[in-house]
Amino acid sequence: MPEEHAELHAELRAVVRDLLAKTGPDAAPDWRTLARSGWLGLEAPEELDGAGASFAETAVVLHEFGRAAARGPYPAVAALALGALTLLEPSPGRDGLIEATVAGRTVPILALDGEAEHVPFRLLRTATGLALHGAARFVQEAPAADRLLLPALDPAGTPVLVDLPARTAGLTGSAIPVLDETRTFGEISAQGPTVPEDSVLRFADEAKAVRRLHDRAAVALACDSLGSAEAMLDATVAYAGTREQFGRRIGSFQAVKHLCADMLVKVEVARHLVGAAVRAEAGEGDPVAAAMAKSHACAAAVEVAGTAMQLHGGMGYTWESGIHVHLKRVTLDRELCGSPAAHRRRLADRYPALARGEAETYTSR
Amino acid sequence: MSAADLADFRADVRAWCRAHIPSDWRAAQTGATDAEFVAFQQAWFQELRGAGYAVPHWPAEWGGGMSVAQQTVLYRELAAHDAPRLVLAFVAIHHAAATLLAAGTDAQRERHLPAILDGEIWVQGFSEPDAGSDLAALRTTARRQGDAYVVNGQKVWASGAAHADQCLLLARTDPAAPKRRGISYLLMDMRSPGVEVRPIRQATGESHFCEIFLDDVVIPAGNLVGPEHDGWRVAQETLGTERGMTMLELAERLGNGGFRWLVEACARPGRDGTAPLDDSRVRDRLAELETEVTGLRALCADLVANDAPGPADASIVKLYYSELLQRMTDFGAQIAGPAAHTVLRKPLSSGWESGAWVLDFVGSWEWTIPGGTSEIQRSIIGERGLGLPREPKAV
Ligand SMILES: Cc1cc2nc3c(=O)[nH]c(=O)nc-3n(C[C@H](O)[C@H](O)[C@H](O)COP(=O)(O)OP(=O)(O)OC[C@H]3O[C@@H](n4cnc5c(N)ncnc54)[C@H](O)[C@@H]3O)c2cc1C
Repeated sequence: MPEEHAELHAELRAVVRDLLAKTGPDAAPDWRTLARSGWLGLEAPEELDGAGASFAETAVVLHEFGRAAARGPYPAVAALALGALTLLEPSPGRDGLIEATVAGRTVPILALDGEAEHVPFRLLRTATGLALHGAARFVQEAPAADRLLLPALDPAGTPVLVDLPARTAGLTGSAIPVLDETRTFGEISAQGPTVPEDSVLRFADEAKAVRRLHDRAAVALACDSLGSAEAMLDATVAYAGTREQFGRRIGSFQAVKHLCADMLVKVEVARHLVGAAVRAEAGEGDPVAAAMAKSHACAAAVEVAGTAMQLHGGMGYTWESGIHVHLKRVTLDRELCGSPAAHRRRLADRYPALARGEAETYTSR
Repeated sequence: MSAADLADFRADVRAWCRAHIPSDWRAAQTGATDAEFVAFQQAWFQELRGAGYAVPHWPAEWGGGMSVAQQTVLYRELAAHDAPRLVLAFVAIHHAAATLLAAGTDAQRERHLPAILDGEIWVQGFSEPDAGSDLAALRTTARRQGDAYVVNGQKVWASGAAHADQCLLLARTDPAAPKRRGISYLLMDMRSPGVEVRPIRQATGESHFCEIFLDDVVIPAGNLVGPEHDGWRVAQETLGTERGMTMLELAERLGNGGFRWLVEACARPGRDGTAPLDDSRVRDRLAELETEVTGLRALCADLVANDAPGPADASIVKLYYSELLQRMTDFGAQIAGPAAHTVLRKPLSSGWESGAWVLDFVGSWEWTIPGGTSEIQRSIIGERGLGLPREPKAV
């Protein structure tokens, strides 16, 4: 990373961390404050009031949200919805939506199915125009939406994004309660609402669009898990350095110290894999890097949070300690948008060609 | 160096690799005798030296002078082209050179650095029967007598001692001082009277490490490195110097040949006609290993590029590499099945992954035990990396 980027990121990280600390664990950061900070529009083009930065900057915020187990629709809006909008062909509809999002006037939610990788909606041509059908489950922060961006296949089978107000007749949303109290989820289903032609937004690169939506969602979750894992490591190291038993600080026991060392190694490896995926996502995208980051970082975070609970003893098992908050959050991160096994399946699809000498592995690049 | 210059350099290295790496070296080095191994290693060293690739990390005035970015390219290409490794010269070009450059006298440097380029072989004589992890407990003594030290004691596990010309020796010069303060760092000619080397057969069946018995060996006082009694500090400062680039090279090898052979082994149909790759659990495990190797390579690239690495960064990389090597070779042994047990020899001059899976698996302990065991690394990571409380001192 060039030095000025590193400095910029450090600065951004500090400000976000500060804001989230002030907000506290039980509330979501104020939306107007977020809009004024410019973090909603980090990736939006400058001519649309954005910062013209890249996903690498959004990722810094996501990381801090994971670290604080923060609430609210920021990750869903900034990483997923705005990310989807930037993949679109410029158009008055798209541009207006970006401007409104950046200003905090609208909260668009991408209706990506968190449970299964598919294009959840279909546009059918009827006598009265276009009608939308389909359903998406585990849509992140769906209850917060005032607009929905619905990935759909148009009548020709081309992926598009359908932009509709959340309150549209024929479009229903229901909340899906989950154990992770820091986030909300919903199911969105469309029973044939009429879609105006200018609500159908086209992707700039239609062949890659669906893959990129899923990869971005996966990498965003990996950022969240990495931040959470760091928080759990820090909390555990602090606790092991003060809690005494048998007349010694427990961190001086090798059984404890070595588990902490393993946590650090896991966090370091995850940090490097997530870093590579974030850099790729800030450019052309790389499905291999995304699959590696998602499968590895999210699984590692669950192990780290579990070890944190173990090493805090009875205190760790209390509601008050807050470790369960991270454990529940990263366990859900791990299962959303492709389990580790699902992402590894994608990696493994390349191996037959590799064995025949027809493809390069990621590692030999 | 600009990106374009670096790309030119990569192209040069590639062309050189294609022209100079003997295509049949693995076959020739499998079951090679000791003499054949030494001759091959010496010749390969001179080949690399001719291209300027043997000691890229040395200062320019001594024949090196490559930037970290260039070295990274060099080792990546050597790994991608499955070049033989410099096994025999390893201690000479890394530990000995680092020690001489950091703490040696001009005379010591002028005597040994050119000699190393001409093929002088070095061994590290640190460990003793009762001083392994607790190296500072070493008991070999060096008594000052006039212009020389007279050395008595025993070293063990000294890799390559049978072929060595010179030895990096730690010996106790002040028995009355606290453990770490009475040790001195000496350069010992292995042909000195009183030096006896006995090879020890190791788990893989080869005998690369040795015992060294020292009986009234006379070492000139001019062979002292750093101040007398200050050898512990000299050793600490020079031990880790080679770690970064070496780890990068090993990680690249694990990612290239190592992982590729594993996938190829998984794709080979067994006697029942099905290949391991048909099994989703095998594909899952492979993808996990590929991800881990990718993480390792990124860690290594970061370590070498970082001018001010954290106090435990090298330990993190060493621990992760060694245990990943173990997991990968273990998986290779499972994939290859009983047939892998009929592979009785692995190629010398190779890395720790050679495709001879069972021997590679057994050999992987060559990374989890020496240079600070995995347990010691975890303590270092906990204490220096995370600042956790140290263990109570032994009474
Ligand atoms: C292949 C190979 C090559 C080698 N090459 C060289 C060489 O060239 N030159 C050289 O000088 N040495 C060499 N060594 C020696 C190597 O550095 C030592 O073997 C190593 O430091 C461990 O010491 P030890 O064998 O005495 O084991 P011990 O120190 O007795 O360790 C035995 C077990 O106890 C554990 N243990 C010990 N102390 C602690 C502690 N404080 N906390 C937790 N666990 C602990 C260890 O982790 C290990 O599991 C080599 C060893 C091998 C295997």
